Amino acid sequence: MMPITRRGLALGAAALAAAPRLAAAQPSRNVMVGGFDVGPGGYQGNFNPLAATAGYTALNFMYEPLVIYTPALDRIEGALANGWEATAEKTKYTFTLADNVHWQDGQKFTSADVAFTLALAQDAKSGSIFASRLAGIAVTAPDAKTVVLTLTKPNASLPDLLSKLMMLPRHQLEPLGRDGLDHNPWWTKSPVGTGPFQFTHYETDQYVSYKAFPGYRLGKPKLDGLINRYFKDSASAVAALKAGEIEFSYVEPDEARGFTGNKDFRIIEGPSWVLNYIGFNWDAGLWTDERVRRAFLYAINRTEIVKTLFRGAADVADSLFIAPNVTPKTLEKYPYDPARARALLAAAGWEKINGRKPLPWLTYYNTPLIANVMAAMQAMLAQVGVAVVPRAVDVATYNGIVYAKKPDPSAYPLIFAGAQNGPDPAIANIWTAENQIPPNGTNVARIHDPALNAALAAAMAEGDDARRLADWRKVAEVANHDVPLAPMWVAKRYGVVTANVKNFVWQPAPSGGPFAQHAELWAFG
Amino acid sequence: MLRFLAQRLAAAVLMMAALSVLTFGLLRLTPGDPVDAYIDPMVPMTEADIAALRTRLGLDRPLPVQYLAWAGAALKGDLGYSTQKERAPVARLLTQHALPTLMLMGTGLALATVLGIIVGIAGAVWRDSPFDIAVGVLSSLGISSPAFLTALLGVFVFSVHLRLAPSGGMASPGVPVTVANVLRHLWLPASLFAIAQTTLTLRYMRASLLEVLNADYVRTARAKGVAEFAVVMKHALRNALLPVVTLVGANISAAVGGAIFIETVFNWPGMGLLLVNAVEARDYPTIMGATLMIGAAVLLVNLATDLLYAAIDPRIRLQ
Repeated sequence: MMPITRRGLALGAAALAAAPRLAAAQPSRNVMVGGFDVGPGGYQGNFNPLAATAGYTALNFMYEPLVIYTPALDRIEGALANGWEATAEKTKYTFTLADNVHWQDGQKFTSADVAFTLALAQDAKSGSIFASRLAGIAVTAPDAKTVVLTLTKPNASLPDLLSKLMMLPRHQLEPLGRDGLDHNPWWTKSPVGTGPFQFTHYETDQYVSYKAFPGYRLGKPKLDGLINRYFKDSASAVAALKAGEIEFSYVEPDEARGFTGNKDFRIIEGPSWVLNYIGFNWDAGLWTDERVRRAFLYAINRTEIVKTLFRGAADVADSLFIAPNVTPKTLEKYPYDPARARALLAAAGWEKINGRKPLPWLTYYNTPLIANVMAAMQAMLAQVGVAVVPRAVDVATYNGIVYAKKPDPSAYPLIFAGAQNGPDPAIANIWTAENQIPPNGTNVARIHDPALNAALAAAMAEGDDARRLADWRKVAEVANHDVPLAPMWVAKRYGVVTANVKNFVWQPAPSGGPFAQHAELWAFG
Repeated sequence: MLRFLAQRLAAAVLMMAALSVLTFGLLRLTPGDPVDAYIDPMVPMTEADIAALRTRLGLDRPLPVQYLAWAGAALKGDLGYSTQKERAPVARLLTQHALPTLMLMGTGLALATVLGIIVGIAGAVWRDSPFDIAVGVLSSLGISSPAFLTALLGVFVFSVHLRLAPSGGMASPGVPVTVANVLRHLWLPASLFAIAQTTLTLRYMRASLLEVLNADYVRTARAKGVAEFAVVMKHALRNALLPVVTLVGANISAAVGGAIFIETVFNWPGMGLLLVNAVEARDYPTIMGATLMIGAAVLLVNLATDLLYAAIDPRIRLQ
C-alpha cells in the first residue's frame, strides 16, 4: 500500500484545486456567454416569437422584425424594412424591404415571407398571441420588395406592434402547417431567421448556443458565437458573473450596487418603462370620491421611499405616462402632505366609507425590496387612517384573482402593480380604458372614469401625429386630475456586463425589447 | 414472496390512480391556471388572445372531461405537452430530467450513506471521545441547516470566492460534454445535498450501534474472546443496520425536497427544477407527470426497503 506522505498530500490537494479550474472550461474566447433571459424582460425556454410576451433580447439574435425601436426607445426605425410610408389617416402602410437580406439557410428574404408571417400571426391556430391585434389587416405584396398593409380603422400604433413581430421563413414553415405549429420541434431543432446569429443547440433548461451568421445583412458578426445561459433567478446569474462564467446578466438593483467601483464590470442603468401604481378597484365601491384617491398620493412619501428604500433606483412618477413628450410640465405633483390627506379623507367621509377596516392589498411582486416598500406605504397610510394589509402572491394566483370571470372586489379592493407604459403611449389604453376591463383588456383596476375614457378614445382615433401628441397630453392631464390610479414611481433596472465586452448595447426595455441592439458589433477587446 | 410482491404492486397501482385524482383536483383548486401564469401582468393581451390560448390548451372543457382525457392518454403512454413555452412532450421532459436527478441524488445519497455509516460506527466505538463530541456538534449543525441556505453558502464560498466549482448547470455550455466536466459540476451540489443526509444517517447509525453493542449476544462474543473489530463489524453491525436501512429508504423519498432546493440554486436540470418551473407556470400536464413519476419512485423505494429488510435479517418474513 502506498504510504501517505506530506508531499503526496500536498500534490493531491494541488491537483484537486486545479482540476475544477480546468474543468470549468469555457467556450472559445470569442464566444460571449450571458444570461440574456434573466429578469422581467426574459422568457427562458421560448423559441417561438409568435408566442412571446417577453424575451425579445434573445429572440432578436436570430429573428428580426420589419421595424425596430432605437436603443433609447425614443423612435422606431427600419430593420428588415428600410422604412415605411403611412397615409394621413393611418389606414394604409407601405413598407419597402431592405436589400441583401437572406435567411440563414441561404434563401432570399422577400415580401412573400412578410405576407406569410402576418397571415400566420393573424391565425390563433398557430399559437400566435398577436391574432386579435392584427385582425382585419389586409396584406398585399405588389412586388418582392414591397408590402402594403391596409387597415379597417386608423391605427397609429401599428409600427409599435410590428416592432415585436419577428419575420419567419415561409419556405420552412409553410410545409409544417399551422395546427400544432407552436410545439413543432422546428423551433428547437432547426430554426432559421435573418438575424446576426444562427441557432446551433438547445440544452433543455441549461442554455441555447448560437454561431455567427456570415451572410447577415449588416455584415458578419464580430463574435464567433453567443451562449444564452438559463438561470432560475438573478442571484444565481450574479454568482456566475462573479465567478467569471458569464459576461452579462440582468441584475436586481441591490445586486447592481455590489458591482459599483469594480473595474472588471460595467453597470448599465435604464428606466423599466413600467409604471408602478396603486390601483383602486373601482368596483369595490370605496373609491368613487376622487378626494379619497388623491389622499393616497398625499399620504405616501414617494420621494423618501425612492431615496431610502430604492436608494435612488427609481424615479417618482407624477404622470400616467413615462415618455417625457406626453407628460406636461404643469401636472400636479401631489407632494407628501399627510395633514392634507387626512383632511381629504375626512371631507370625503372615509370613516363612513370604510374607516379603519383592513383592506387586502394584492400584489404579484415578491421581492424583499417591494415587501419593504409596501410595509412603508402601509405605515404611511395607517397614519392617515387607511388600514391596508399587503398580500403578495405569485403571478398565476394574481391573474387568477383579477381576471376571474366573476371577480370578487372584496378580494382585491387595492392592488400594487406595474404596467408597461411606453414607448408608445397608446399602450396605456388597454389598462386604463373602461372598454378594456377584463375580459376585454387588462384594466384590472376596473377603472371607469368617463373623462378619461373620452380623452383616451380621442387619442386612439387620431391619425395626425401632432394632434395625437396633444391628445395624449390631454389624457395625462385628465389622469393627473382624476387620479383613476395612484402613480408611484418608475423603477430603474440594471444589467451588468464585463468590461472586456465592447460595443455592447443593452437596456432594460419592457419584454426585453426588441431594440436595435446590433449584436453583430459586440466584441471582446 | 411472489404473493407479497403482487399485493404490493396492485396496491401501488391503486395508489397511483388515487394520486393522479388528488393531484389533478388540488391543481384545479389552486388560484390561476396555465394561461394566468402565461400572461405577463405588465404586457397587454386581448381577451380573444387569452381565450384562444385557453381553448388550445383544453382548459375550456369541464374538469371530469379534462381528467378522463388526460388519464386515457396517460394509460397509452401519452402524458401530453407541457403548457410552458417550449411545448415539449411531457414524457420527453421527464426522461430528460430524471437522469440528472438520479445522478445528483444517487451521488449525494451514496456519499451520505457511506460517510454516515462510517462516521456513525466511529462515533459509537469511540463514544464520548473528542471525535464523537465534534461529530455531534457538526451533525447538529448539518441537520439544522436548511438546504437552500447550505446551497447558497456553498455557491458563495466554492464558486464565487474559491472558484473550485462552477456556480451552476450540469456541464459547461458550448463545449463537448465529458464525464470529467459533468463530475466537476456535480461534486459541489452533490456534496451539499449529502450534508443533511449524512448527519441523519450517522446519528441513526451511532445510536443503533450503541444499543446493539450493549446486547447480550455481543457481550457473549466478547467473552468468547472475539476481537473487538470483529465484534463490531461482524456481530453488531448487521443488526444495527436495520434502522439505517429504513432511514435511507425514507431519505430517498425526503431527498426529493432537498433536491428541489439544490437543483434550483445550481440550475441543475433535474426533476426538482422541472417541478418548480411547472408549478410556477401552472403547467398541469408536467406537474401531473412529474408527481406520478416521483410517486412511483417512492413506492418502489419503499418496496425495495421491505425486500432489503428480509435480506439483512432472515428473521423477517414477507407475508
